[in-house]
Amino acid sequence: MNAAASPKLRGYAVLSATGLLAALVTGRPELVALTAPFLVALAAGLLLVQRPRLQARVRLGSVRAFEDDEVEATIALAAGPAVERLDVYLRLPAEVVLVDGRNPVSLRLARGERRELALRLRLDRWGGHRLAPLHVRAAGPLGLVTWEAVLPGAPELRVYPREAALRRALPPRETQLYAGNEVSRRRGEGIEFADLRPFAPGDAVRRVNWRASAKRGELWVNESHPERNTDVILFVDSFAEARLDRTSTLDLAVRATAALADAYVGRRDRVGLIGFGGILRWLVPGTGVVQLYRIVDALIDTEIVLSYYWRDLQVLPRRTLPPSALVLALSPLLDERSVGALLDLRARGFDLAVLDVSPIPFTPRPASGLDALAYDIWALRRDALRHRLQQAGVAVTEWRPGVPLQGALEEVRAFRRHARLARV
Amino acid sequence: MAAYALLASRPALRPAAVAGGGAGIGLLAAAVLLRQPRLVPWALAAAGGGYAATRAGVHVVDGWAALAGAGLLLAGELGFWSAGDDPRIAVEGSLLRRRALTTAVLVSAAALVGFVLLGVAAVAASSGLVVAAAGVAAAVAAVGLVLRQLRAP
Repeated sequence: MNAAASPKLRGYAVLSATGLLAALVTGRPELVALTAPFLVALAAGLLLVQRPRLQARVRLGSVRAFEDDEVEATIALAAGPAVERLDVYLRLPAEVVLVDGRNPVSLRLARGERRELALRLRLDRWGGHRLAPLHVRAAGPLGLVTWEAVLPGAPELRVYPREAALRRALPPRETQLYAGNEVSRRRGEGIEFADLRPFAPGDAVRRVNWRASAKRGELWVNESHPERNTDVILFVDSFAEARLDRTSTLDLAVRATAALADAYVGRRDRVGLIGFGGILRWLVPGTGVVQLYRIVDALIDTEIVLSYYWRDLQVLPRRTLPPSALVLALSPLLDERSVGALLDLRARGFDLAVLDVSPIPFTPRPASGLDALAYDIWALRRDALRHRLQQAGVAVTEWRPGVPLQGALEEVRAFRRHARLARV
Repeated sequence: MAAYALLASRPALRPAAVAGGGAGIGLLAAAVLLRQPRLVPWALAAAGGGYAATRAGVHVVDGWAALAGAGLLLAGELGFWSAGDDPRIAVEGSLLRRRALTTAVLVSAAALVGFVLLGVAAVAASSGLVVAAAGVAAAVAAVGLVLRQLRAP
């Protein structure tokens, strides 16, 4: 712990020295009597002081939780010699709110005393939160000398976003080879009837359609659509966000991405992730609950990193963007680099859908004047940008807070049903 | 302290008492309101200086000087307490009581020491040079002790 003299020690020392010298010069005993109390305080304060030997540790009731959950944190203190005054302060991130308990707190620890300070914390936002550092400041009996230390606080607390339940996810245009829940447009072994064709050597007898065969006088067999899995790449734009109070477009995008990953993994699809922003992150597509945990873990590390430099999608490993994958982008469409990357993906033939996490509700319109005009022009330019993406064959829809994610997905589905592929 | 200096001083020296006491009160108020503990010693010095100025030309030793010194210390302790206290920090009740008790004991002990010093000074007033030398030695020793503690706390 680092020791420091308090302003009181310096002040009393200077007053004592000045008073005594003045008493000597003027020969007045009253000045000695006036100074003596400060000398007594200095002597008592310095003789009684003991260097503290303190142990402090922060424990968490749980290191993983969901948004809006409450967790217990305990600050365990153990003193060697008595600490007359101990200030303890655990620094909490803005997303973690103290519900119950005292922080910072000032207390006294007797010799050899152990004390536990319980804090109840509410987790307001997803993310990896570090409850650190722990500041401790000890003072002697009269506060003449203080010791300060900054200790490493608690391990990282990982808060997962709450996911909205989706009744059905957006299906990709193309399916992959493995079994899944999506009815493929190809023909093969499956349940969904597709067509009839003449019998060919090697066809199973159970596939013969006897009614059609009797009518045509030769063997005909049923064809069906197989159930296959799909590849879905969730593209999260973290170049920029619009924030109002404690909510932002990135918060909405991350929660929606977690919900989509949960829905697609539940359908036995392969799901991958691209975090496109100041820091480019990716997860190669995979299946199963492990992949879901990987995605959510990667998501909660997503943050806006201000950067004028970015890497193009070319640097992504080939396996990250498999052909015929559906790329589902969640973006506020605020940064030209993201828009360029989305158009690039479309130009490379990817099946692309964009959920425009609208920044409009996060940006109140000015009452009047040039600011209001600029705001309207900005909103119009956003409409034009969406139209440009739609012209390129990208299914894009605006998603605002308060609107269920399922509703926005249904809009995208409707667009994809009626739109035809465009050449870009 | 300021009021005592004003009451105990001769009429000719009252402006000095008023100036010293007023400056002390003003500086102490500023220290508390602005949360600047560094101003507290200046407030104490101003109030003590005002009192010392009122004793100029008076040959009788003031017997209440010990209480005045204890009062100054009490003002200093309370001033540092108020100016250095952060209202955002929750303080345990037992710690508050202990601190108040410590301050009371300290001020009482300081007053007692002041009375003893004044008594010794009255007895040894005729000793002249010997007392002066002892006083200088004590002052130097006290300052040296403080500086040593400051250097290696």
